[in-house]
Amino acid sequence: MHTNKLHNRRSFLKQSLLATGALLWLPSCEDKNDIKHIKGSIVGANSKSGHIARDLKSRPSPTHTEQVDYLIVGGGIAGLTALRHLKNAGITSCKLLEMDNHTGGNSHSGSNKISQYPWGAHYLPVPDIRNKEILDFLQSCGVITEYKDGLPVYNEYHICHDPEERLFINGQWQEGIVPEFGVPAADKEQIRKFFALMASMKTAVGADGKDAFTIPLKNSTEDAKYRDLDKISFAAYLKQNNFTSPPLLWYLEYCCKDDYGTRLDNTSAWAGIHYFAARKGKGANAKDSTVLTWPEGNAFLATHLRKQCDETTIALQHAAVNIKPTASGADVLVNDVNKGTFYQITAKKMIVCTPQFVTKHLIDLGKLRYSMYDSFYYTPWLIANLTVRDLPTAKGLSLCWDNIIYGSESVGYVNANNQDVTRSSKAVLTCYKPYAYTTPQAGRMKLQKSDYKTLLKEVIDELDYAHQGIAQFIEQADLWIWGHGMIAPLPGFIWGASRLIANSPVDNKIFFAHSDLSGISIFEEAFYQGLDAAKNALAAS
Amino acid sequence: MNEEVTTENIQTADYSRNKGLLLLLSVFIIATCGLIYELIAGTLASYLLGDSITQFSTIIGVYLFSMGIGSWLSKYIDGNLLRWFIRIEILVGIIGGISAPVLFVIFEHIYSFKVILYAFVGLTGVLVGLEIPLLMRILQGKYQFKDLVSNIFTFDYIGGLLASLIFPLVLVPYLGLIRTSLFFGMLNIGVALALMYQFKETKPYRANMLVTIIVCLAAFTGGMLYSQKIMTYSESLAFQDQVIFSKSTPYQRIVLTKNTREMRLFLNGNLQFSSADEYRYHEALIHPGMQNLSGATKVLVLGGGDGLAVRELLKYPQIQSINLVDLDPEMTRLFSTNKILTALNKKAFASPKVKVTNADAYQWVRNNNEKYQFIAIDFPDPSNYSVGKLYTNSFYREVSRLLDSNGVMVVQSTSPYIGRKSFWCINHTLESEGFHVIPYHAYVPSFGEWGYALATKNYCWRNEGKLPEGLKYVNFKTISDMMFFPPDMSDVPTEINKLNNQVLVHYFESDWGPYAH
Repeated sequence: MHTNKLHNRRSFLKQSLLATGALLWLPSCEDKNDIKHIKGSIVGANSKSGHIARDLKSRPSPTHTEQVDYLIVGGGIAGLTALRHLKNAGITSCKLLEMDNHTGGNSHSGSNKISQYPWGAHYLPVPDIRNKEILDFLQSCGVITEYKDGLPVYNEYHICHDPEERLFINGQWQEGIVPEFGVPAADKEQIRKFFALMASMKTAVGADGKDAFTIPLKNSTEDAKYRDLDKISFAAYLKQNNFTSPPLLWYLEYCCKDDYGTRLDNTSAWAGIHYFAARKGKGANAKDSTVLTWPEGNAFLATHLRKQCDETTIALQHAAVNIKPTASGADVLVNDVNKGTFYQITAKKMIVCTPQFVTKHLIDLGKLRYSMYDSFYYTPWLIANLTVRDLPTAKGLSLCWDNIIYGSESVGYVNANNQDVTRSSKAVLTCYKPYAYTTPQAGRMKLQKSDYKTLLKEVIDELDYAHQGIAQFIEQADLWIWGHGMIAPLPGFIWGASRLIANSPVDNKIFFAHSDLSGISIFEEAFYQGLDAAKNALAAS
Repeated sequence: MNEEVTTENIQTADYSRNKGLLLLLSVFIIATCGLIYELIAGTLASYLLGDSITQFSTIIGVYLFSMGIGSWLSKYIDGNLLRWFIRIEILVGIIGGISAPVLFVIFEHIYSFKVILYAFVGLTGVLVGLEIPLLMRILQGKYQFKDLVSNIFTFDYIGGLLASLIFPLVLVPYLGLIRTSLFFGMLNIGVALALMYQFKETKPYRANMLVTIIVCLAAFTGGMLYSQKIMTYSESLAFQDQVIFSKSTPYQRIVLTKNTREMRLFLNGNLQFSSADEYRYHEALIHPGMQNLSGATKVLVLGGGDGLAVRELLKYPQIQSINLVDLDPEMTRLFSTNKILTALNKKAFASPKVKVTNADAYQWVRNNNEKYQFIAIDFPDPSNYSVGKLYTNSFYREVSRLLDSNGVMVVQSTSPYIGRKSFWCINHTLESEGFHVIPYHAYVPSFGEWGYALATKNYCWRNEGKLPEGLKYVNFKTISDMMFFPPDMSDVPTEINKLNNQVLVHYFESDWGPYAH
């Protein structure tokens, strides 16, 4: 609804700008948004190797067989955390298979002369001090330097540097993302009320004494008073509570898109509230709204996890294509992607850390369980990393870490150089765009069929509204397509049956871990998924 | 080359009154152009080299003398005089036209500047000097001799008057030097074009000349447009004084302006120093800290790409090495090669004790471990977030590693009068990292009250060392006076400036907001 209006206004502005330009000086009236000079390509993700398992018609015969006590499939955050835990527990006979040429999953990054930049997840809110395992991990990678009065002291190079967030609204950049500049008083009042309600949710406790909303979400209360919120959409919840203000609803939908890739009407109200009520982190020099971030995004965390594993146990570009439960564990057919050959691994225990849209093609656990996968819904994402030599500026706050344009379909861009203490004349901007307004299938189809120029133009057109003529300043633009960007907590999904059934181990030999099994695609959930699965696998002997 | 059209041809040609008039009109334009080039050279020379009386008289002298040479040379020119005349016309247009842009561009390379300046003046003079005698010979026989002389010189002098009036009143203020120069170059070439088409005897060589003319006119038109970039009109308006140098580097826009009394350096439009009183700023920056460090052999300067702080440091014989780290190579290059600027910093960068590194100070400090006895931090004011990082507790923690336990560090810390909160925020931020801080301030007329923070690790600073001879502002009495803060500049509570709050940038904005131009 916003987009149409924006588009008209933008094209009107563009046309009048061009017309004026043409009158003033003809030779300079080339299309301001010409993108011919921009270098780059679609650099990922490789959907080919991901589809091997799905498209496998006949079972190839393995060239040889290996044996291992513990086999992990999938090298994202959950898989790496599991492998790290096995190593810490003294397990030596283990292996992790990763189909891609790097571990980290969605916490992937790239780099160029200007900066490192994220290709996916890019920040971690300061964790709850009850998340001791995460705090220990953060301390081991230097993010926490010491403890003062029982509170972690965060390394200031890793705390998001100021200025943190800005929103382009009513023609200028305001500080913070909650709409404020030019917002009528009645709307501001609703916004205030909403945050007051969320503050009460943050401290709310269920009948069992557990937090109403917490991270990891498995520790949240079972009290139906709160869990039943999962049964309705966030939109319905807001309506029930008389939240109707367009700027507030825009902001909340932005939050849903940003964290879940969903809209208000297809986000579980429980998940919608969780976004505001579950972050309870503390630090000697940090509060609950403080976030940790790095130029390379969460690849920083993924790299540290990997380094803390026995890296010789990680096999890159080895894709599990079939898992067969056996009496003694599992037989796994593996594709050596580079060689194109297949071999078998016989494992005593397995931790399957792939997302469920992959898992369902890997392992046949019967019709009932297979049907559960239908409720796993993933939004496709397009990510663009733009190297700019400058930014056409509008009035207001200068470039921040997170920059959002009011009314736009995408969720804005992050300045990858924000954590860089050096002054650079250029910057890398990471733009995030979930395809939340079509079905995931239609979104994936569009992303797959569109060429580089079409997709880049889409990204630039949105930015151009706040940065007129930005195309001229872009030197390099690379794109990444995540066909299944992140799990969407649709109404009923978080506390429904599918997630629990898909998460249940097979015969105490095959365990499952992935953030999509939590229903919320965040680092903490993936971390605890991997940790719990590894602990369970170790315990089940 | 083989067409032999001589003066006879012209004489026998049908000489209409119009053509005679056209030639006289061209005398007028030539005269205007000639004087304009001379005025441009004179103006440029006095902008860039100073001392306008000397510059104008030597330029005029060289110019007139060169005209004499031209007139003398004219007798060696024979053959197709009209063709020669057109050729010379084009040549004057080219040389005169490019003179100002070229001189502006090469000003950085000051060593060759004077040579090229006088070469331009001389060459233009010779060519202009050739024109009138040639024209007289072309028109010989078309008029009576007395009419000829009278007409030519009348037009010549009227042209002179016109030039001398429009130059200061219209051209410099509205077109700027570069475009004036290019514009008159085009006018000269335009005269050549008009002549060529009025005289049918030029037909045989028209095509050749036309190519030259079109190329020149196109290049000059391009130059007129590009001159926006060489030096924008708005820029010369933004500064009170004449802009004598400007350059956009990847990091900042460097602009030098000059008037009769002083030269000023602006970075991104912010005044960095005025040559008239910078000694106050730099003496106050260096000497209070350095005077009691008799054992200081190694010094670090962060920022200060103008070399003026280094100039003060070089007055201490005990210093054996000075490491200067400045972000912008263009700045340090300018201040090590430009004659006026090296005169100002006494060739500080040429000293064998000085090592210049062009790097980002934060990154550089983070990656180094060497110890220094004196560290001078002379960054631009914290007016934006990227500079603001260089004033954070995290940065001071890094710098602290590089400071000897008995060393002294000094930080330029904006005006305690206008930027009162900013000034004290810097002090408090230094204190939060365990430094013992002694704030002080100096009055620098072009800045106002300016503040500094002396920081030590162990209260080692005393006002009883040894000051170099010949300081104009700082003595021991000045030092102790500088440490007194009247009530309107005294301490105010502030937060600590951190990477994740950047309060200093906010303080700076609100402190300076009311003064924003």
